[in-house]
Amino acid sequence: MAVYGRNYRRYAGELTPPWSRFLILPRYAYETVFQSKLFLIFFAVCFLVPFAGLLMIYLHHNLSALSFLNIPPEELKKFLPIGKSFFFRGTWLQGGLAFILVFLVGPALVAPDLRNNGLALYLSRPFSRTEYVLGKMSVLLILLSAITWVPGMLLFLFQSILEPSWLGKNLDLGLAILVGNGAWILFLSLMALAVSALVKWKPVARIALGVLFFVSIGFANALNEILSTWWGYLFSAWYVIGSIWASLFGIPVSADELPPPGAAWAALIGGSLLCLWLLSRRIRAYEVVR
Amino acid sequence: MSAVATAATPATPAIPERTPLTSSPVPVPADRRVVIENVSKFYGEVLGINNVNLSIPPGITGLVGPNGSGKTTLMNLLVGLIRPTRGSLRVLGIPTDNPEALFRLVGYSTQYDAFPPGLNGYQFIYSFLRIHGFAHAEADTMTWEAIARVNLTEAAGRKVAGYSKGMRQRIKLAQAISHRPSVLILDEPLNGLDPMARAEVIALFRELSEAGLHVIVSSHILHEVDLISDQVVLINGGYIVAEGEIGGVRDEMEEEHPVQVLIRCDRPSLLASKVFESDHVVEARIQDDGGLLVRTRSADRFYMLLNQVILETGLAVETVMPTDADVNAVYQYLIGEKS
Repeated sequence: MAVYGRNYRRYAGELTPPWSRFLILPRYAYETVFQSKLFLIFFAVCFLVPFAGLLMIYLHHNLSALSFLNIPPEELKKFLPIGKSFFFRGTWLQGGLAFILVFLVGPALVAPDLRNNGLALYLSRPFSRTEYVLGKMSVLLILLSAITWVPGMLLFLFQSILEPSWLGKNLDLGLAILVGNGAWILFLSLMALAVSALVKWKPVARIALGVLFFVSIGFANALNEILSTWWGYLFSAWYVIGSIWASLFGIPVSADELPPPGAAWAALIGGSLLCLWLLSRRIRAYEVVR
Repeated sequence: MSAVATAATPATPAIPERTPLTSSPVPVPADRRVVIENVSKFYGEVLGINNVNLSIPPGITGLVGPNGSGKTTLMNLLVGLIRPTRGSLRVLGIPTDNPEALFRLVGYSTQYDAFPPGLNGYQFIYSFLRIHGFAHAEADTMTWEAIARVNLTEAAGRKVAGYSKGMRQRIKLAQAISHRPSVLILDEPLNGLDPMARAEVIALFRELSEAGLHVIVSSHILHEVDLISDQVVLINGGYIVAEGEIGGVRDEMEEEHPVQVLIRCDRPSLLASKVFESDHVVEARIQDDGGLLVRTRSADRFYMLLNQVILETGLAVETVMPTDADVNAVYQYLIGEKS
């Protein structure tokens, strides 16, 4: 007969709040990400455009610094316009870099866990599938925020400080920076995680992301040419987000160049929901045998 | 008490009478047991396990069965990683669909070598403790405790990717025990361990079970299951074919599979003639090396008879050894024959 003393005591102390636990995941992911020198260089390059923007705003308000050019100040201001086009172009450039960042980092997030049956490690804790996805997504969201809406908003605030009257007329630009970049980085993160979960193999996931982005641009154009329509654009995330940005920043575009904003929003939301559905199917501790 | 499910094949599913696994006369209350009630799991049309009823007391429980028998399915159900198609599971009174409460109690180690890339041994344990909700200071202390228990302190700073198979098994065990659970569920934890490490890990299992933990271990290494387990669960084709203390399980099979006992003594032929008079002895065979192999349908009655013969004849007995009372023999009789 076995006699069990039960002298073992479980931990009965304080625990961290459940909402904060998903943030443990990005901490270790960043260590790996920033070990790559190539990524470090790329990440530094991502700040060149915001830095140039900062310089432009400064010069716009300090034209005397350019007096050595012997150009009248009013003429100079035309070369340094700070308005919706300035912020739209910045968003467009940083949006492209955001995709490259996702291309570099995204495939390594979920694929290795699925490939090594590692999900059980995470999910055999007081940690849900949603928290796992949130944790992995936050790796991308934090990095992408650092190169998109955060510098965008800093430039916006800098301009507002230097010209307080400008802020009142351009409040909608601040909203456009937040919403436009937010929608893009959320979609990119979901797409990267879904592809990473679906393909399970890092290099193939990277190729799949590239195909989804670049080939879809060509496919959209071809479809529009062949069928003489505009809805082919809806198959390309780049055209879709371009339309959303243009409408948010108030940039006029012709119907031939980009899809209508309403259709673009619908496509972006639909694409995001599709990614969420794929993630809910793939992020499981064990695969279901059929 | 123990139970053997006869004719438990997928084609003709039998629902045997189940009895609790413990032999203790003092019943262990349900909130200190792992209770599985009428649990079935189907993956689409594929059977995982069917109609499983178990009530597991503290101590070491060995889960034994061939590949694809349903061991891992049962373990995944116990830790709530998959939901049962039918039935319910409670771990120390906590339903398995309550992960926040369940994983405070349960430590789980999968059979897979799944480690997040780039982490060293310390980070591996520490990061998962943080996910558990422990603050830095507690997580740090508990990490070093767990690493010390599996004797990996010196290797804690090295990348897990560079560990040997045995070290990886031990670091997995460390992550399972690091948050001080009450129930340990370990899928093939002895795979790849060298004899020294195996002995250490088995000693750790003993230590934990003696402290009142449930240690549920699946393994293919039968003699080790026999060595370490207080009770065993034999599973095949998704059905529980036997459960209980291995001796008890073996006793229940005596009618169909008589127990073999090897006796080495100075007059084996005399002993053979004496024991063969009893109706429960079905065979008495003198072996080439002089040992007498007896097959009996009642081990208890045979041992009584043997004592009596020794007293009457003054037989000098060197060895009395059951040769098929271990989990290996039980496994062969119950599962080997069917497979």
